[in-house]
Amino acid sequence: MALRGLARARALYEARDDRARELKAQGKRIVGYLCYFAPPEILEAAGLVPYRIRGDIRERVTDADQYVEPYGCPFVRNTFDQAVKGRYDFLDGVVMAHSCDSVQRMYGIWTHYRPAAFTHMVNVPHTVTPASERFFHRELGLFKERVEAFAGARIDDRALEASIDLYNRTRELVWQLYQLRKSDPPLLSGAEMLEVLIAGGGLPAAEFEELLREVTAEVRSRRDGPSAKRARLLFYGCINDDVTLIRLVEECSAHVVMDDTCIGARSLLGRVTNGDDPLAGFVRYYFTGFQCPRTYRGTDRSRFDYLIHAARQFQAQGVVLYILSFCDPHKLDLVDVRRYLQDAGLPSLVLEDDYTLTNLESMRTRIQAFVEMVA
Amino acid sequence: MSELRRAQKSLETVRRAKEMLGTFYRRHERRREGAPLAWCMAGISAELLSAFDLPWEWPENFGTLCAAKQVATRFCEQAEADGFSQDLCSYLRNNLGYVSRALELGATPPEAPGGGMGTPTMLLGSGGLCDPRTKWFQALSSTYLPIPVFHIDPMSPPHDVDPRDPRIAAHYTELLRETVRDQVAFLEEQTGRRLDLGRLRAALANAQEMIALLWEIQELRRAVPCPMGSEDFFTGAVVPLLFMLGEREATEYFRCLRDEVRDRVACSTGVIPGERYRFLWMGIPPWYNLGFFNAVGELGAVFPIETVYYVGAPVEIDLSDPLEALVERSWKRATWIHDWGAEVIPENCSPSGFSAPGTRLIRQWVKDYRLDGAVMHRTRSCRAVSWGQIHIKNQLAEEGVPSLVIESDMADPRSWSQSVIMGQIRGFLGAVEASRREAARA
Repeated sequence: MALRGLARARALYEARDDRARELKAQGKRIVGYLCYFAPPEILEAAGLVPYRIRGDIRERVTDADQYVEPYGCPFVRNTFDQAVKGRYDFLDGVVMAHSCDSVQRMYGIWTHYRPAAFTHMVNVPHTVTPASERFFHRELGLFKERVEAFAGARIDDRALEASIDLYNRTRELVWQLYQLRKSDPPLLSGAEMLEVLIAGGGLPAAEFEELLREVTAEVRSRRDGPSAKRARLLFYGCINDDVTLIRLVEECSAHVVMDDTCIGARSLLGRVTNGDDPLAGFVRYYFTGFQCPRTYRGTDRSRFDYLIHAARQFQAQGVVLYILSFCDPHKLDLVDVRRYLQDAGLPSLVLEDDYTLTNLESMRTRIQAFVEMVA
Repeated sequence: MSELRRAQKSLETVRRAKEMLGTFYRRHERRREGAPLAWCMAGISAELLSAFDLPWEWPENFGTLCAAKQVATRFCEQAEADGFSQDLCSYLRNNLGYVSRALELGATPPEAPGGGMGTPTMLLGSGGLCDPRTKWFQALSSTYLPIPVFHIDPMSPPHDVDPRDPRIAAHYTELLRETVRDQVAFLEEQTGRRLDLGRLRAALANAQEMIALLWEIQELRRAVPCPMGSEDFFTGAVVPLLFMLGEREATEYFRCLRDEVRDRVACSTGVIPGERYRFLWMGIPPWYNLGFFNAVGELGAVFPIETVYYVGAPVEIDLSDPLEALVERSWKRATWIHDWGAEVIPENCSPSGFSAPGTRLIRQWVKDYRLDGAVMHRTRSCRAVSWGQIHIKNQLAEEGVPSLVIESDMADPRSWSQSVIMGQIRGFLGAVEASRREAARA
């Protein structure tokens, strides 16, 4: 019997790229992307299948060491290691964005050693200003043209509108699932939520929408949801594309009820405005409003208000700050974030990792102590 | 710490740098109580600041100075105690730690070299070159010094985008132009003065002359024996290039330096006697141990060219509209650098006078500078400059050119190991020698 709902999400999460490979075998063209600064809606509107490139936290970086330095974002190094090992040989294209130094420089190295039929870098300014918003708007126009040239057809306005609508529907469904985590205990665990979102990154948006509907229906009526735990936490920080750590937090008697990470609330909630100028909608959603620490947004503490609001909305009692080694943008926000959270009465715990999770047991001890403190 | 030593300068002009570049080295005399003072990042146009008659100081340069005076560790540790990770740029940690300590003491820390930095009234940052520079002044302002911040945001096209495509050129220069205009508006507001276009024009003309002189020096350094090594470049060229661009005395200093280097070439005078090996230096130097270059020189090796603070060929600009000339210079230089390969170092569009050379240019240098190999300094806390060295190593290997990677940091001496690094250098020289013997036999 075919799997449905959460079971299907878990199977897709574990199988990683099986669905993309199936689609490739059916003649679809698959384009990998590393960050949402390159809107997947544009790829989808061109009839391409966007695929969110993942690392594999369970696999050590080995082959990539011949081409890139050991000091650098361990996630980005890991994704490239996957590529060098042939794990991404099903990709027809690779799209990256100037999301940080590591990705920006990796683009040149990746495309040199692992060229693909279509490669593109979306350039992203570092500061939110009217001038940089105009730059990003033009940059997205150039990206759209390159996608059109690769796809062999102009992206029709209606197709782009439809793609935006489709992605907005998925975000609305993701939000509905998030809402189901507001109760105590939540109806959906943090690990289950992340499995769904990661699975979605490897699917065409219409299939993700279908998966989300199945999961939502199942969760609304489930009797086997998470049991009561001692604390409710928000999970903030660097990219997390594996559920091990969230599962660990939840094993330590804390619900992860909300997050602020890339594959999560930071980029999978809200709506892209769909109007006369869809690129302007992308600028607002993927640049101006996208709370990635790589972007300078002034020095005012209000830049973290959204985080405190989210914690209160989901009744989080504390925040886990997950930071990858060498992540300069997150590390430079860390002092401010901790202070602001503390001022808001929210204790925090920093978990630093080099994208290997080799220190899982020491993390467990620290999480347990943190839960004791906030409960 | 005895293994760390200052550089022995070879060129007379470099030995006289402090005396000849008084505007920079006696900058504390320009500070006026309560008057505007900007702290700037490298990449900010010094010409623009001088056009506002705005005194400015450079935390990055202060980092190199603290490193050279062996006090950077003290400040880095203070920043780390405040919660800033040891992974972060050591210039940045040095600066945050210095400010933290100054606030704690209510006075300039006694160990600060040169009497410390002046109290800033504004921070002028740059999103160019690396992520930490985008975030540095944000952290400085929000954690320690709540003063206004302005960031320029010069973007550079990726390696596979043609900067000669008119649409691409318009796309990037439009951002540069708007950023410069916004910066002028910010400076007018902060200083209460209007931009002096005549002064800006004169500064840009000086800068053009200075860049041409430095280019000439870099070309002269091709000579065998090498007339100027990295120890002189780092101690004598970086300050006027990065922090004094457009100032007349810096231009005259470079003229003097050019003349001396030219004379040396004419007389076949090298930096070291018995020059035996010529290497490319790649990466930021260990500022706390510039004597390292002398130590390598004692083994017969010289560094005639470096990848950092590289000034490319001069470009012509129209000075009738000086603000537009600033945009034009940035873009033309970026285009020139981009032509020479930008796949690993795409940050090449900056309103200042330097950037970093591309892979193809480095391959060309092997011939032009008759290089025997490359020494790459992998700086743990500066990934932006280190990332891509392995790729360039691979590129050079295709040409049969060997490279050595040594590892430490630019301002934090805790990661330097003289015995390990000098052991690596000796081993590398032995390998170069062995391949020479093999080539001679073949």
